[in-house]
Amino acid sequence: MKDEPRVGVFVCHCGTNIGGVVDVPEVVEYAKTLPYVVYADRNLYTCSEEGLNNIRDTIKEYNLNRVVVASCTPRTHEPLFRVACQEGGLNPYLFEMANIREHCSWVHHDSKEATEKAKDIVRMAVARSLWLEPQEEPELEIKDSSLVIGGGISGLVAAISLADQGFKVYLVEKEAELGGLVRQLYKLYPTLEDTSEILNPHIEEAKNHRNIEVHTSTTIKDIEGYVGNFHVTAIKNKEQIEFDVGTIIVATGAWNYHPPEGNFQYGVLDGVMTQLELEELLKEGKLERPEIIVMIQCVGSRVGEIWSYELVGLFHSQATRLLSKILGARGSEEGWAYCSKICCMNAIKNAILIKEQFPESEVTILYQDLRTYKEYEDFYRRARKLEVRFLKYIYEIPPEISEAPGNKLRVSFYDPFAGEEMSIICDKVALSTPLIPSKDGILLAKKLKIPLDQNGFLMEAHVKLRPIDTQIEGIFLAGTAAGPKDISESIVSAKAAAARASILMGNKVIKTEALTAVVNQDLCIGCGLCEELCPYGAHIVKDGKSTVIEALCKGCGVCVVACPQKAISAKHYTDDQILAAVKNAFTEQLT
Amino acid sequence: MSVGYEPKILGFLCNWCSYAGADLAGVSRFEYPPNARVIRVMCSGRVDPVHILEGFKSGADGVLVTGCHPGDCHYVSGNFSTERRVEIMKKVVNKIGIDPERIRLEWVSASEGRKYAELVKEYTDSIRKLGPFPLNEISDLLDAAIGAFGSERVRWLMNKQLEEIEPEKAENVIITSIEREIERYQLFQILEKGNSTVSEMAKQTNLPSDVIVQHLIALMKQGTAAITAEAEHEYIYTLSR
Repeated sequence: MKDEPRVGVFVCHCGTNIGGVVDVPEVVEYAKTLPYVVYADRNLYTCSEEGLNNIRDTIKEYNLNRVVVASCTPRTHEPLFRVACQEGGLNPYLFEMANIREHCSWVHHDSKEATEKAKDIVRMAVARSLWLEPQEEPELEIKDSSLVIGGGISGLVAAISLADQGFKVYLVEKEAELGGLVRQLYKLYPTLEDTSEILNPHIEEAKNHRNIEVHTSTTIKDIEGYVGNFHVTAIKNKEQIEFDVGTIIVATGAWNYHPPEGNFQYGVLDGVMTQLELEELLKEGKLERPEIIVMIQCVGSRVGEIWSYELVGLFHSQATRLLSKILGARGSEEGWAYCSKICCMNAIKNAILIKEQFPESEVTILYQDLRTYKEYEDFYRRARKLEVRFLKYIYEIPPEISEAPGNKLRVSFYDPFAGEEMSIICDKVALSTPLIPSKDGILLAKKLKIPLDQNGFLMEAHVKLRPIDTQIEGIFLAGTAAGPKDISESIVSAKAAAARASILMGNKVIKTEALTAVVNQDLCIGCGLCEELCPYGAHIVKDGKSTVIEALCKGCGVCVVACPQKAISAKHYTDDQILAAVKNAFTEQLT
Repeated sequence: MSVGYEPKILGFLCNWCSYAGADLAGVSRFEYPPNARVIRVMCSGRVDPVHILEGFKSGADGVLVTGCHPGDCHYVSGNFSTERRVEIMKKVVNKIGIDPERIRLEWVSASEGRKYAELVKEYTDSIRKLGPFPLNEISDLLDAAIGAFGSERVRWLMNKQLEEIEPEKAENVIITSIEREIERYQLFQILEKGNSTVSEMAKQTNLPSDVIVQHLIALMKQGTAAITAEAEHEYIYTLSR
């Protein structure tokens, strides 16, 4: 306590909400007995204009340097009272609330018990208030430029959308050409237009946009800084380029899974290929005559146990495990637990393309469950009209592929509806494999400290409420980097990411959290435990000392409890402040 | 149990889920016993084991820590840190004579007003059965534990991810290390009050003398304690600062 505290306590009747149960005058009298309390009174409604004026005036009249309001929950009314304090000339963080309504008068019916509890709550609040310190909410400038990582359809759309709003965009693509995975596709469902019809105009627009700087054959080497002020170092054709941006959109996309060699005879028998490889044949016009084709769904996806939707931080071992799984995709039989969402539609699309080109072809789709949601139902019916055959197999008995006479393939499977073993002699087998996390995405996530979900995709800040944001402020997700999406969903997410980024850049400044962690540089030994634990990457250990980047810190205090040297404290939730409440929870006298 | 004994519960509620859940209990007028005094923290991950132990020292019979459900933490993973800390703590306090039930971690979301009300009721009953916290009996041990949980070694052990060691092994290492640290703090406290010998310390702490000697050697290596005299075939140890 630097200055001699002068506490004012305002106890609220809240009509009869509090006053009907708690003996408010008794609480006021009790408050007056507490040390440092120089003023205590009651209001019918402290949140009314009259009540707020009372706070403003009393601060001046009694020269208060702490204000305690005993009324309702701080979750709704704290901001209001803080403003009143500020208007009375008091730093809003020198205000403390005692919740004697939600936590007392509304849940206890015995007037005596409730009054005693209300006194305790007031005492705890006064005790804590003595240790409060003024806090400021620093403002931070946001640079009006953005980095988009990945030049696939999502990256292109996000870049154009931001550039159209007047923001400078650096579009970085590791390949020599823009377009990403979509470039390998032939036609798009459900419209069956050529991929190039969608992709090429976007590529041209991005290349020629005056606000977009396209860097192909470029990889990200390092990103430093925080929201509004990221410093990016990239390697372009072995040369280093650097620039500063305010926001980042991660559109690193996904990879297509390849079964390990020998699995479903992939890589062993000619004619067994992935669905994507079949589509490339269609694109290049290499399917020259009617053929019998069998497509097998859910190859490498929906395998094994689905982990509960638990959020995990990016622990080093997990990232390493995921990386080896991805890189070993050609060698491991592990597969992926989730449904890749696009494979059903993709298979139906290719089936339709084949049947429309060569109506005499025979196309069979072997599925476990068929998922053609929303308007795609039409597309499914169109395939049925074209006499594409849909047959079910069960997960426990996966189809087997073997050689058949005459350079053909035999697909044997168990049809649960017919209740018997079936086999089809065919020319080609297409394996519908899932989109899987990309190596680049995982490495980048590590660099940017974005958590990964259990499957290795970059994780959104909240699965429902903040699906585009990441845990790191100023960094947003577009497209399949965050999980399997089709083109239209990717475009939606890319535009959303651009909108989210433009809100930040449009405002030019943001107010950052006042309640952050602070490191005492004299005590810090640079052990790095805080850096390891921080979910926001707010702790940076440099030259043997940790510092908090205030713009990133959200003030949870996890690092404070962990710090072996007790070098970290949490503003507004210091040990002194918390312990003051603890020590005064059960004593009659303020200690 | 003494007639009319009312347990005192100290609650730590995270701002985003549990405090909001408690608010909802109020808004919904779910009645529960008035035994809990609660402290709002931003995240359950801010709750220091030292805060919990200080709660007992301040008169709490039970300490209730509540946070967001796993996966719902406002701060991504704060509640996982809390869970780990509380789990280790419960195992350690059990060994110094505090019933682990006196520390309870529960997940209460912002929508679980009823759960909060029922939790306070159920926990109050459960502590009522346990009776008052044996503060007088274990007050020295409690102080030693407060010292130990605030110490560098224990804070490291409770928070570092020990990936190289199997989880069960790691837990054993952590728990025994914390016990040792508490023992060391017990000796430290005795020396703080004045010079002492191994046999005197053994009498006061009920620790075997070889364990005490080991700790004293460690304290001497740290430069915290020193032998300053000899009396009746025994060394006299002093705290050196």
